[in-house]
Amino acid sequence: MATVPEEFRFGNFLASIIWVILIVIVLLTLVILPLTFIVLFYVPLPPVNGEVLTPYLFLTMIVDPTRTLPIVKYLIHTTPFKVIVFPGFVFAAIIAAATIFVERKFLAKMQLRVGPLYAGVWGVGEGILQLAADGLKVISKEILIPSGADKPIFWAAPIAFVATAAAVVALIPVAPGWVVSNTDVGLIAVFAILGFFPLIALLFSWASNSKYPFIGGLRALHQMIAFEIPFILSALSVVILAGSLNLTHIATSQHPFWFILFLPISAFVFFISSLAELERVPFDLPEAESEIVAGWLTETSGMIYGLIQLGSYLKVYALAALFVILFLGGWSGPQIFPHQLGPPDAIPLVKVLTLQGLYNAVTVNAIFWFLVKTIVIIMLMLLPRGISPRIRIDILLHTGWYKLIVLAFVNMFVALALIYAGVLGPGGSLSIH
Amino acid sequence: MVLHIMADALFISVAILTIGSAIVALETRELVYGAIGLAISMMGIAGFFLLLDSPFVAMFQITVYVGAVAVLVIFTVMLVRTQALFSIKEDPRRKTAGIVLLLVFIGGIGAVVLASGLGNPAFTKFNKPAIDVATIGKQMVTYYAPVLVLLGLTLAASVIGALALARREDIEQKNERVD
Repeated sequence: MATVPEEFRFGNFLASIIWVILIVIVLLTLVILPLTFIVLFYVPLPPVNGEVLTPYLFLTMIVDPTRTLPIVKYLIHTTPFKVIVFPGFVFAAIIAAATIFVERKFLAKMQLRVGPLYAGVWGVGEGILQLAADGLKVISKEILIPSGADKPIFWAAPIAFVATAAAVVALIPVAPGWVVSNTDVGLIAVFAILGFFPLIALLFSWASNSKYPFIGGLRALHQMIAFEIPFILSALSVVILAGSLNLTHIATSQHPFWFILFLPISAFVFFISSLAELERVPFDLPEAESEIVAGWLTETSGMIYGLIQLGSYLKVYALAALFVILFLGGWSGPQIFPHQLGPPDAIPLVKVLTLQGLYNAVTVNAIFWFLVKTIVIIMLMLLPRGISPRIRIDILLHTGWYKLIVLAFVNMFVALALIYAGVLGPGGSLSIH
Repeated sequence: MVLHIMADALFISVAILTIGSAIVALETRELVYGAIGLAISMMGIAGFFLLLDSPFVAMFQITVYVGAVAVLVIFTVMLVRTQALFSIKEDPRRKTAGIVLLLVFIGGIGAVVLASGLGNPAFTKFNKPAIDVATIGKQMVTYYAPVLVLLGLTLAASVIGALALARREDIEQKNERVD
């Protein structure tokens, strides 16, 4: 019946709202405005579009929408934006989250199930909010730490897992110039960082103080170390053809012909090894749920589980993107976006709405093709989970140590032959100068 | 100037990280923490290489020492019973002797470095660009080719030796008998 308490008075309610407004106004005048002015007057602001960003200019830019775009353009080219938002963490995390939802729906359709259904919005979308619901659930659940667990490592390992995955993401270029860290040794850096994952899995499984996680951790160690060698060798033939370890240079050097045309065996080995590196079906022995509960994730709960899931799907994105850069020509593709979104002599509001001065057709096109290729590769990585059983551990190790290494060498000799025959490489008959 | 201060601050923090984790690796009673300290110390050394403009060496330092050696050490440590290792009581005289030895060693190294002329300002002022990876590759197969071949032979010999040592004849014989 009545949920209004006995002592409720409308006047008291109004008075409380007025109190809140008063406190906000007092805080604004006493703290926030002085702080804003201190920042504007005393902190040296960077030049935007050749003009020094004075407080006056800043305020006019906020008021006048046509002057806001240069600020936005300046901001999205700063390093913090790159690290946190666009080619960096948030972008990859959105792709990872989408991958989790798409994987569940995709597998359900393949196996004639329905998949996530009820967490929709306005009756459409067939569970499109399932991910948000799962995220809320994971955040609000209690984190259980098993008794006898090694607490510091148990807490630190999931964070290290996500941080390491984000470090791999930071090395991936998504368009010309759009990369967080454009080093000359990008490919080696990727493999160096990927080498942390077996260490983290092993430490976390040991810190859980439980049998199943430890078995899973040992399996993860064996598997990742066995497949690291064919992984690196298959990427090495790409390095031979491109003549560089810089990922941007590798992507741009396959301009007329993608490397997958010359190195199909390497691409196959790279794909299989990345499946093993990601612990995905059919190589999901470290998390084999029908044998060892959930492998090295058995004792995880709440946000620790959420962090490890986020890290592993960030890894899925990073390795799919790496496959695209090494074998599928990176962001190259036909120009399908118009060079201008609107007429150049339009009124200011239309100019703002059509993002004139900010919109770059080449970059948008590059990001589009990169995303299309990456999504195709991610779907290919998800596919085996619907159709393939888990393989035995001796077959897994045999595949890694004997077959894939030999296959990787085969294509390396093909790459060397192409270089020495003068087909590819500097001055080759098929390469554009 | 700002860059110099930044580089100095980075150097000092990496040095503290490296030496601190090395001390942890030596002193801690938990062997797993010691192994983690060792891994962090090796990463600190990779940080020194990065500060010295040699990212190639830094990446290989991480790949080999953190990715392989530290994993091996931790793997071994986890399978070892640690209780029996620390039954010996510490001798305070040994500790004193160790500290004295350390000081003598540091003094000797410092004297050598000071006498070597590294303090000469002409040594520290050079503006050469960082060596790129392609140059390292060319040097490896031309000037350093004999060393490379020798190293490869040594590694191959040690792998074959390890295989020969690890081969267990009793298991093979048992298998034959069963067959």
